[in-house]
Parts: sequence; structure tokens; C-alpha cells
Amino acid sequence: MHKIAEVEVQHDIMVANRKLARKNQKMLDNNQVYAVDVVGAIGSGKTTLIEALIDAMDHSIGVIAGDVISKYDAGRFEKHEVPVVGLNTGKECHLDAHLVEHAFHDLPLGDIDLLFIENVGNLICPVDFELGSHMRMVVISVTEGDDTVEKHPLIFQDADLVVINKVDLADAVGADSDKMVSDVKEINPDVQVIKTSLKTEKGFDEVMEAIEIFINQD
Amino acid sequence: MHELSMAEAIVETVLDVAKKNDAQEIVEVTIEVGELTMLNPEQVRFLLGVLAEDTLLEDAEIIIEEVPVEIKCRNCEFTGLANTDGSDHYLAIVLCPKCDERNVEILKGRECNVKTIKIEKSDEDA
Repeated sequence: MHKIAEVEVQHDIMVANRKLARKNQKMLDNNQVYAVDVVGAIGSGKTTLIEALIDAMDHSIGVIAGDVISKYDAGRFEKHEVPVVGLNTGKECHLDAHLVEHAFHDLPLGDIDLLFIENVGNLICPVDFELGSHMRMVVISVTEGDDTVEKHPLIFQDADLVVINKVDLADAVGADSDKMVSDVKEINPDVQVIKTSLKTEKGFDEVMEAIEIFINQD
Repeated sequence: MHELSMAEAIVETVLDVAKKNDAQEIVEVTIEVGELTMLNPEQVRFLLGVLAEDTLLEDAEIIIEEVPVEIKCRNCEFTGLANTDGSDHYLAIVLCPKCDERNVEILKGRECNVKTIKIEKSDEDA
């Protein structure tokens, strides 16, 4: 004879990641490290922006370079002589709190005060995974098309700072960067949106200042 | 596409609980998926089917309950079910139904929760 029993499980996979993320943030706080999760579209300029920030900001910076194959971006950051950990996500399209925790073990957290965590280029999956960072910067560019924001609203809803890059190319690709700004504002009215061109350095100082303000608020 | 890793985590959780409860078979699994997650319930269901092969989960009925978005509005203090526009797909933009503001705190709608499982066990174990 068999009997059927109902078992209450109540195990939220998302909560499990969020708990790990909180643990990560505690570890960062204990080491007085401020962490910025940099998410954005493929090829929008995340790596280039972080490289420029490393060179320009007056901080001891470390980088976690997350990518499907991370060695390419990690190699670029290493040239700026900062501690770098490459995280290969392999089949996965996003970093999660567990992977980031692993990277902490390979970073000299005591020697840095600002950590950039470059996520995998993707505007969808990272939405579901907090990492334990203190702020999230979303980087997109006009070359992805000026409907990018409308098509991926949730990542902008959670953003603390939005960068619209490559605005020098807007005319060439027929994109309206003002529309992209107003699309972000419609989803997340209070977020600061900065138009940049890392080629001409337009808007770069503003990005740096915005991050400094977040760090000082913390 | 992170439905696969989510499905793997779900299967791991379910099999773990089933084992701890001496299940001989898993009959039913109920999962709650929030409307604001980037998970497509049908893809989750498909992948659970693939991952369940040759496990206790193989013949289980998978019930996926979609959890609507609940908010607290930072503008008018409304608390309850949100209006979600963009109804042509499931990527909802969340609005306060009272004042139409988008500046809201999300209370529910982001979960991927293994809620309950129904298992078959022998009477001796029961």
C-alpha cells in the first residue's frame, strides 16, 4: 500500500541568491569596498568605460570580469595594473551571487576600495540576480537601436545610473538618443541618465561624478 | 536564457526534499513564478521535463502558478496588486493602479518558489 503526502517546501530559488548577495555585500562592507555592478548590452562599451574609470578615478580599484569566456576582458583590465578576477560563466548568461562570492576569495579586498563587477553582456538575465553590489550601472549604446530601452524595461527599473554610450554615432545609425533617455525616465523617473561618447570623452566626467556621489552617500 | 539553471535548482530542491521524506515517487510539484522574473514558465516546464528523466520526478505533474505583481507605491502609499502595462508580452512595466506612478516598491512578483510537492510513500514509512 502507498499513501500520498503533501510536503510544504517553500524554497525560493531567487531568495537563495538574494541571501548570498546580502552575504557578499556584508563581506564588501567589512572590507570597506564599494561595489558597482556594471550591466548592459553586448558591445555597448562596458569594458571601455571601466578601463577609463580605472585610469581617471582616485581610488584603489579592483575588477571582476564576468563573461562567457572572461579572459579577453580580464586581459584588458590587467593592462591597467589593477587586481582582476575573470569569471567564466560558460553556458550561463549572467553572473550570480555564488560566482561573485568565489571571485572575492581571489581578490585582495583589503587593498581596494572600489570594485567594478562587469556582468555578462545581456539586458535580460542579470535582472533576476542581485550580486551584493551597492549600485547598478546600466550601459547601453545607440548602436543597439533606440528601441532598446522599451524592449528591456526591467533592467532599467532597477538601475541606479544609466549610461547611453556612443552618442557620436547616433546619426550614422539613425538612432534618437533623446528618445532613449525619455524611455528610461518613463520607466525609472528618478534615475540619472548620462549620454556619453567614450571616443570623444563626452559625458565621461559626469559618469565619474555620479559614481562618486553614490560612494559618498553610502 | 537562464531557465536551465533555474530548472536545475528546482529539480535539485525537489529531489532533496523528496529524499528526506522517503518518497518513492513524486506525484506533483507546485512552483510559483513571479510575473516580474525573466523566466518564461513554459520554458521552465519544458526543461523540468527534460531534467526529470530517470529521476523520482519523471512522472510528476508540474503545476506552475504565476504570481502577480504586488507593490507599495512610494507616491500615494497604495499597497496591493499593480497595474502592469505592456500587455503584449510578459515583461511588465509596473504602475500604481491608484495614481499611475511608476515609482513603486515591488513586494511580490519576483519569486521562483518551489511551494509544495506531493509524494508517494509506502505505508510502512508513513
